[in-house]
Formats: sequence, C-alpha cells, structure tokens
Amino acid sequence: MEYILSGIAEAFVLLLKGDEEVYSAVSATLRASTAAIIISLVIGLPLGFLLGYFDFPGRRFFRSVFDALLALPTVLVGLWVYAFISNRGPLGGMNLLFTLKGVIVGEVVLALPIVIALSAQSIEELDLSVRDTLLTLGSSGKRLLFDILWEARYGMLMAAITAYGRVISEVGAATMLGGNIKWRTRTITTAMAFETNKGQFAMGIALGMILLLIAFIVNSTLSYAKRRRQTR
Amino acid sequence: MLYELRDIKRFYNDRCALSVDRLAIEGGKIYGLVGPNGSGKTTLLRILAFLDEPSEGQIIYKGSSVTSQKASLFRQEVTMLLQNARLLTRKVKDNVAYGLKLRRYDSKTVKTRVVEALEMVGLQPRDFLNRAWHELSGGEAQRVALAARLALRPNVLLLDEPTANVDKVSEALINQAVIKAKREWKTTIIMVSHDLGWLYSTADEILSLWGGRIVRQGPENIIPGPWEKLENGLYCKRLRDGQKIYLSGTPSQSGVVSISPSEILLAEYPERTSARNLLYGFIREMAYCNGSQIRVTLSIGEINLVALITDEAARELKLSPGMNIYVVFKATAAKWL
Repeated sequence: MEYILSGIAEAFVLLLKGDEEVYSAVSATLRASTAAIIISLVIGLPLGFLLGYFDFPGRRFFRSVFDALLALPTVLVGLWVYAFISNRGPLGGMNLLFTLKGVIVGEVVLALPIVIALSAQSIEELDLSVRDTLLTLGSSGKRLLFDILWEARYGMLMAAITAYGRVISEVGAATMLGGNIKWRTRTITTAMAFETNKGQFAMGIALGMILLLIAFIVNSTLSYAKRRRQTR
Repeated sequence: MLYELRDIKRFYNDRCALSVDRLAIEGGKIYGLVGPNGSGKTTLLRILAFLDEPSEGQIIYKGSSVTSQKASLFRQEVTMLLQNARLLTRKVKDNVAYGLKLRRYDSKTVKTRVVEALEMVGLQPRDFLNRAWHELSGGEAQRVALAARLALRPNVLLLDEPTANVDKVSEALINQAVIKAKREWKTTIIMVSHDLGWLYSTADEILSLWGGRIVRQGPENIIPGPWEKLENGLYCKRLRDGQKIYLSGTPSQSGVVSISPSEILLAEYPERTSARNLLYGFIREMAYCNGSQIRVTLSIGEINLVALITDEAARELKLSPGMNIYVVFKATAAKWL
C-alpha cells in the first residue's frame, strides 16, 4: 500500500516540476493523435456523408463493413500496418516503422472507420425533413449540401471525439509501430505499460493522471455533443 | 393563372398517390385542401412546393412549364411549412433570417423582416431573437418556422397542418398571421388543416381529395362503403349506432358516395317527410361561409356531414354547436364517385 501512496506523491512531483520524460511522452501522444484525427476527418467526413446521404448499390454492404471495423482490435491494426511498412512490406521504402509517422498511420486506420460509420449514421438520422426544410426556404446546390452538413455538426463532432478517445487510449498499435523509443515515439500509453514493467510506478501514475484528464475532457465534450444532438 | 396542373400523377412504388387531370389555382386566394388520411393532400402540396416532381404530367407555374432547373428558381418565391416543421439548429433570429440571407438581402432589410415576421406570429422579438432552437415550446417552434417563411413575403405559402400539434394560443396566432399574409402581400395560400371550421370560414375555395383524386372544388360530404343492396333497388349503409342511410343509383367500384351540402336539410323535430333519410345527430361546428351562408358540420354515428343553410334559417331553428338535430336528405342526393 505504501509504495502506491509514495508513487502518487512522486507522480505529483514529476508533473509539477515538469519532468522532461513525462512531457515528451505527452507531446508525442498529442502530436500523433491530433495528426491522425485531422487526417481521419478530412478523409472520413466526406465518405461518411456520401454513405449516409446517397443511396447507391452496395451502400448497405459498406455500412456494415465500417460498422464491423469499429471493433477492430488495436494489435491487429498494429500487425497489418507493420506488415505494410516494415522493410519487407510494400511501403517499406518510406521508412515509417518505429517513427511517429508510423504510429499516425496505425491510428488513422483505427480512427477512420469510427469517423465514417458515426458520421454516416448522424447524416442518416437527420432524415429527409432537414433537406426538405432547407429546400422550402430556398436553398439548393452546394449550399444545400453544406447546410445539411452543418445541421449534422453535433453528430460529426461526436464521431470526431469518439475516434479521438479511441486513438489516444490505445496501446497495441503504438507499441508495435512506434517501438516505444524514448524521446521519439514513446506515447503516454506505451510509456505507462513499459515504465510499470520496469517498476517505475511514479512515472506510470503521473502519465495516468494526464491521460485521465484528457479522457475527462474528451468525454465531457462528447456528452455535450450528444445533448445538443438530441434537443431540437 | 398561377398554377395549372395537367394530367399529373405521382406514384410511390407503383401505388398512385395522386392523380389530377386538371387543376387551376388563381393567385391571391386561400385554398383549403380536405380529405381523409392518405387522400393525397400532402403529395399535392409537395408537388406545388416543387419539393417532389410528379411521375407524369405537366405543371405550369406563372405561364412557364416547370422543369427541375426551374423548380429551384421557383422555390425562391414558393415556400412550404411542412407538417412537424423542424427548425435549423441555430438561434431564432438565424432561423428566420436563413431564407433572407440566401436571397442576398442587405443586413438592414434582413433585420427589419425578421422582427416583422416574429411580431406577425406573436413572438416578442426582444425575448425571442436570441433564443436557441431548443429553448422553445412546441407551439413557439412552429411559429418561428412560420415566421421564417413569412419573412420571405412569399408569392405562395403552402401549409401542411400548421396547427395540428400546437396550443390554442399558437393556433390562433398562426391563423391570424396566415390571413395577414394574404391581405398584405397578396400571398396565395394553399393549406391542409384538421380545423375544418376555420378552413371553411377562411378559404376562398375548398378542394376535396379522395384516393388521390380531386373529387370536387367545393364543400363535400363523402361517405365510404360498404353498401348493402336492398330488394327495392336502394343501397343501404348501416352506421355503428344502428341508423341507416339509403341511397339510390349504382355504386361505383370504390363504393364512395358524395352528397352535396345543399341537399341536406335540418329539422328540429322528426317530421313526416318524403325524403328517404331521416337521421339523428348533433351539431359539431358552425361557421360562416361565403357571406350569408352557414356551414354546419353534423356528427351522425361515425360520419360527419356538412349542410349549407342560410343564416336566417339558422336563426329560426336557434342552431348552436352541441345541439341535437334531425338531418334529412333524399336517396337521390347520392353522387357515386
């Protein structure tokens, strides 16, 4: 019991005095997850819109594929991406393995299905009445599409935050693709896993508190988006 | 002529929801659409609002034939308040200003129009301009939705059950606003309302729909089948309360009959009469219609009938809503549809 308490006390010391190792992991995490989420939104939101708005043959199939990918195990993503970006893989020449970029690729693969599936769902849930409402007020063309997207913004926000929550807390892909290299690819979660193994309890707890804080912010934003989406 | 519809048909998965051979709608009038659920009222409104294209046939609006390119142009001056209208997820002022901004009015005009439209529907601009969409009651939200259309000073305003789910106060304010739009901007109003009393007293013309067809322009009593053939050649419908309606002629395939309101007489006592039908019911509603005529809605068993009588006759019989009354009409009054 005592070593837990002293671990917590030490963790506060690390956080307050600005321990470089701790903050390097936090910075790597934020950089990788932010880049991954931006890429996923840029690719995923338009695809989600297409999937939720237009009716085309095969739409149901794609919807169920992306729904299934929501539950993708992170180690499996790590394995796949590893196979592609390792020296023997088709993208081996890009030297992505054990870099933060490699981690970002893995996180995009994790986040993209979430962004696509949830944004498609939020567009579907808007139903035709939004489109009709905009049409009756005189909207048309590009403006109409943009305003439909705008009406779905809280659903889109939910998609983005859910994806972010998943990316920031995963450890499997980040370990396999980043390699947990100190100062470079060590993220909050990989550092926690390895520091605890080494008996560095305080570091693990300090990073855990930061992760908890991020998770709290992410979840409050998520519940705000949910509330907004429900009331009209 | 504002609208002309020629041989319009609208199908939903092989089912014909609307079939209109000819319909002309004049500008600056109030039209009321009546008919049971599924009779094609909303389908017709949506076509007139250029939201849906007819599967067949031609619509002419202000002299030019409507194509899908022109539809979006015409939607700039034709607007519709949908049933269960929804607001955009924005503030009240942004909801009302949305259409005006699309039409590129300058900000001063937008502001004036927004305030004017909110006042028209009885919402104090001071209290409501900055409210969010989720801070409104159902009736207030409906009025904001109407204000968003009124702000456009539309040439045509289509209303689908504008007062179906709102409180009494909102209902009265919505009704007033609609009349004001017609009076001030000569807006043509085409509306569906469950409030038949109000509809008949305000509308210049009533279009009755049945099974996707316009059965008549004017008040209409529609009685569905089944009809039982009697030995004396008459057809009989048994109402749930045990009363019977006898009609002559030959039923059409639909088994639907209509009786002109002017063929229906009212009597205080069950007098001996040569007419085949003497039914007992009560007065549901009374409303003025076309000046000196009064439109009396009667409930007889499960059906409603409308009689048109003079205000003099109404006064003599001391008619009032809720009063029990005898209803008389001939078997030959039947028009099989």
